[in-house]
Amino acid sequence: MRALASLARGIDAINESIGRVIAWLALGMVLIQVVVVIMRYVFGLSVLTMQESIWYMHSIVFLVAAGYTLLHNGHVRVDILYGNVGPIAKAKIDLFGVIFILLPLCVMIWWVSWPYVAAAWAVREGSVEVSGIQGVYLLKSCMLIFAGGLAIQGVSLAIKCWFTLAGIDGGLAGDDGEQEHGL
Amino acid sequence: MTPHEIMVTLMVIGVCGSLMLGFPVSFTLAGASMIFGLIGYFFDVFSLSFFGVLPNRIFGVMTNEVLIAVPLFVFMGVMLERSKVAEELLDTMGALFGRMSGGLGISVCVVGALLAASTGIVGATVVTMGLLSLPTMLRRGYNPQLATGVIAASGTLGQIIPPSIVLVVLGDQISNAHQEAQRSLGNWSPDPVSVGDLFAGALIPGLVLVGLYALYTGVVCAVKPSMGPAIPREELTDGEGGSLFNRVLHALVAPAVLIVAVLGSILVGIATPTEAAAVGAMGATLLGGHRLAPDKGLPIYVGVASIVALLVLVGNFDLRVARDVISGVEWAAIWAAAIACVGATWGVLVCLMRVYKDGTLREVNHQTIRISAMVFGIVIGAQLFSLVFRGFGGDDIVHDILVGLPGGTVGAVFVVMLVMFILGFFLDFIEITFVVVPIVAPILLKMDLDPVWLGIMIAVNLQTSFLTPPFGFALFYLRGVAPPEVTTGMIYKGIIPFVAIQVGMLVILAVFPGMATWLPKVIFGS
Repeated sequence: MRALASLARGIDAINESIGRVIAWLALGMVLIQVVVVIMRYVFGLSVLTMQESIWYMHSIVFLVAAGYTLLHNGHVRVDILYGNVGPIAKAKIDLFGVIFILLPLCVMIWWVSWPYVAAAWAVREGSVEVSGIQGVYLLKSCMLIFAGGLAIQGVSLAIKCWFTLAGIDGGLAGDDGEQEHGL
Repeated sequence: MTPHEIMVTLMVIGVCGSLMLGFPVSFTLAGASMIFGLIGYFFDVFSLSFFGVLPNRIFGVMTNEVLIAVPLFVFMGVMLERSKVAEELLDTMGALFGRMSGGLGISVCVVGALLAASTGIVGATVVTMGLLSLPTMLRRGYNPQLATGVIAASGTLGQIIPPSIVLVVLGDQISNAHQEAQRSLGNWSPDPVSVGDLFAGALIPGLVLVGLYALYTGVVCAVKPSMGPAIPREELTDGEGGSLFNRVLHALVAPAVLIVAVLGSILVGIATPTEAAAVGAMGATLLGGHRLAPDKGLPIYVGVASIVALLVLVGNFDLRVARDVISGVEWAAIWAAAIACVGATWGVLVCLMRVYKDGTLREVNHQTIRISAMVFGIVIGAQLFSLVFRGFGGDDIVHDILVGLPGGTVGAVFVVMLVMFILGFFLDFIEITFVVVPIVAPILLKMDLDPVWLGIMIAVNLQTSFLTPPFGFALFYLRGVAPPEVTTGMIYKGIIPFVAIQVGMLVILAVFPGMATWLPKVIFGS
């Protein structure tokens, strides 16, 4: 029991710290894009590496931060049922969802992405442009991190749900409760 | 029914049903589709090789230049929300319109439109207006249904008035659909449809909607003043900060500058939405830094003056440095531009330090990546859905249904709009855009419809999905911040007239397609 609680805590800590670092890429995207705009429209210069780095940051943000977002209950839900039931029913829905939807999905994404990523690694795939960033194989690897990060966060969520259902207080913080204000 | 038709029907019902459970939409969409794919594989009507295409599709999303605008617009919107622009606008507009009956309601429409044109984040707008305007309106004796209806509806204007995230993602989908439709008609080099086209096309319908909301509010209150009583003149003090005129001017400066900078540069055709969004995010940061320490304005003024200087220099000189012959005057201008860049950088850095120390920057960063991961999670889920759907031959089935409808093109558009409207009760715009639009839009566009017009029709329809219970984002957010004496039933009843206005708008657009297609033609030619 205690081992499970510390496993969940450990997973949360991993995704939380990933999220904290990745969050700075949001600012990074804005700043680099502004610099690209000024260089292009004022001085007529363009540096492909900078333009491509924005793709990299963008992809890393939504792929690598997916687990962090799940930790903070940031993935939008249809609230018709979920919004009107108590914590026990919510825990049942989430436990069911993790086991029958999220984990199989992560396995499938990992399974189909592995050969795709491996092929990119085999040739150290780079940008189609000579002056671009020669790290497309690393970028593609983010798909595996996406599946992995979501899967471990799913395990943590499942442990929390199980504790809720069993009435155990494992000293685990629940999710933020409040849904994000979204778009 | 053929086995394929049975599987497609079961899949659509099954996916929609499992979404209702309440597990996150992105995973449910993908996971349920996967399970139906596996069932299909078991019964030999689906090939697992369709799953193998998924990494390619995900990589396509990762390198999609248009969609990069989404996180940048989110950053801009969240930053602007924190800089209290909305508060000041509501305050001054309330004072401006308050003495008319229904005036507070009309001021909500106007502020909703201004915020929509500068940020376009529905959640933030509805929450802010719900927190600030709703208590005031209720205290002044407004009918709670009218008050909640006008706030929720005006809050969603951000999705139709450009720049809007709905139009960015929809523009991407419509553009793909248009290419696909033209190719199948044998036209291998069609005129592309851009997000800019949709922005231009949405402008007039968006403003008409604002007008209709305000008109409805005004007429209802004029006929029955107890619905929205006027505020007595003597209670509307000028307050601190000078005359009402000056306060209105002050409140309008910030959104006006951002609207001109962001929307202007896109519509003039200079900047792509992604570029404009980044500039807008920077502008919002400058504004946020200024609001935190209004008395220490020097760095911001220097920053803004430098940006203006840059624009003037760009307008008058050829500043491109990678040329063979550059005259002395041009070198001087280039150096001046470089100094202006230093000035602008200083202003931006000071503002960044301020929003960092205040904790705002951290919040904005975190919100941005969470919303981004949420949106793109759904995009990935929708990719898998569409792969499985196509694997079952679903697009052919939908094609046959739409083509076989009585009434030809009109009938097909009507049915698609009706289906989207009904789906809007349960799903929100991201799912509909990425799941339904790729399936139906190529079929409709093959019937020789104007892609911009179709895009705007869909956008107005999707905006309505924010307002239709039980799953209407705007209603959730309003419920979350409304005082307990406002019941959920009141909110639901209050929104009915505004949903009717939306449907009316769709009819108007169908009768007068020029409303959507005229402006893009004027601006971009073709």
